[in-house]
Amino acid sequence: MSRFFVLTLNGLTQGAIYAAMALALVLIWRATKVINFAQGAMAMFTTYLALFAIDHGAPYWVAFSVALLSGLLLGAIVERVIVRPVESAPPLNVVILTLGLLLFFQAIAPMAFGGQIRSFPPAFSIVGLHLGNAQIAFSPFDAFTLGSVVTVMILLLVLFQKTNLGLRMRASAFNPEVSRLLGIRVGRMLTLGWALASLVGALAGVLIAPSFLLYPTFMDQVLVYGFTGAVLGGLDSAMGAVIGGLLMGFALSYVGGYFGSDLETVGALVILIAVLMVRPRGLFSLQRLREV
Amino acid sequence: MLEIADLTVAYGPVVALHGVSLTVADASITAVLGANGAGKTTLVRTISGLTRPRAGSIRLDGRDITRLAPEEIARLGIAHVPQGQGVLAELTVDENLRLGGLWRTDPGGQRAALAEAYELFPPLAARRHVAAFSLSGGERQMLSVGRALVARAGVLLLDEPSLGLARLVLVQIMARIKALVTERQLTVLLIEQNARSALSVAHQAIVLHLGKVVAQGRAQQLLSEEELRHAYLGF
Repeated sequence: MSRFFVLTLNGLTQGAIYAAMALALVLIWRATKVINFAQGAMAMFTTYLALFAIDHGAPYWVAFSVALLSGLLLGAIVERVIVRPVESAPPLNVVILTLGLLLFFQAIAPMAFGGQIRSFPPAFSIVGLHLGNAQIAFSPFDAFTLGSVVTVMILLLVLFQKTNLGLRMRASAFNPEVSRLLGIRVGRMLTLGWALASLVGALAGVLIAPSFLLYPTFMDQVLVYGFTGAVLGGLDSAMGAVIGGLLMGFALSYVGGYFGSDLETVGALVILIAVLMVRPRGLFSLQRLREV
Repeated sequence: MLEIADLTVAYGPVVALHGVSLTVADASITAVLGANGAGKTTLVRTISGLTRPRAGSIRLDGRDITRLAPEEIARLGIAHVPQGQGVLAELTVDENLRLGGLWRTDPGGQRAALAEAYELFPPLAARRHVAAFSLSGGERQMLSVGRALVARAGVLLLDEPSLGLARLVLVQIMARIKALVTERQLTVLLIEQNARSALSVAHQAIVLHLGKVVAQGRAQQLLSEEELRHAYLGF
């Protein structure tokens, strides 16, 4: 029982990070119908930038802000400079471009920051909290991880559902041509969408870095699990991405805990195949509604 | 006033419009008639900036808008209601309507315009918070037109509003639009394949055939030209 409890808590924290990555992928998928395979590598790069700040004496919170702001900026730049020129080309071109970008960031990171594996400091203690006399597998940093992912999600929800800017962004994602006819500057909305997605990805990077170690491919695994979570959720639903990401966190934690950590990746694959066989469009796809 | 001069549009080697000239007077309805493939939709898409012309010019009240982006043209008060897919199906009726005027900078005027649109099309008010995909064809058309009104558009480009609509519903919507032409000085360019119904509401009309203007004049006058009707309008 206590084992199950530990694995559940562990799954929740990991799941929050996969959910953030899944959300980043879904935000871009909804805006531009592209899977940004460079999402993980971009987050790796912004995490390195945060570490760079720490190396130069910046306090943790400054480094944290560096990661998020550089994420925001990097997303906007990638959309404007890399994605925009091939906007009207076949979708595969953009996919290949994001794969190229993945290689680019992974190649340039060791050149810029050195190739050795680094550790990344957490904001708070990673020692489990005490509940009465027993120590539980939930540290102050885990609480911070969970709290910041939830905060970002609530902020995004408010932005998309309650503000005019969010309404414009949703309209641009659903139908760019009609949106332009309504006077919406769709190009700006797409740039903003990429920027926000990249910010959420950067958050995932800076939150997972203390428990992994920092090296150029350290986000690959998070990208794969986040992507699986996004597909589980139906790819075009933000809520689905969050739930899919959390499901991945729990499932991987149980598989790793009960069957051995070697089987985690296989477990992810089995879950993906099983869900897609039952619901080919994922758990929360909007397309289901359109068939009515 | 919308002035179109010598407009030529081509998709690769295929010429869709061939030196089309047309003047749409303020506070009037001008119908663009012709068979499938005559270039009617290309004409409105070029006016709203979605398609780039190869030659010619488009002027709104004397200002050249030929090379402007669609979103900038919309902000000048030209509302294009596209064929069929004009509403954002995933958004609610209210969100769709609000989107029409988001670029405007007068929140008070916006609220008033929104209330007016609901008043004009009561079926929409009843379904305010329903996603647009569940609306009927007539309600969708009302939503598209209502949205153009929320934008306080001076020029309305209507692409085949009759498509898929029951005759009675179409008559109702066109009656509303006709009223707006006199009350608000709305200028309407009405694209129609159904020539008879379009000519019954339009003040003037042009007939397109394979990308060229083959006839133009007052609507009544075109109705009376039997040969023209047989040759191009199919009745």
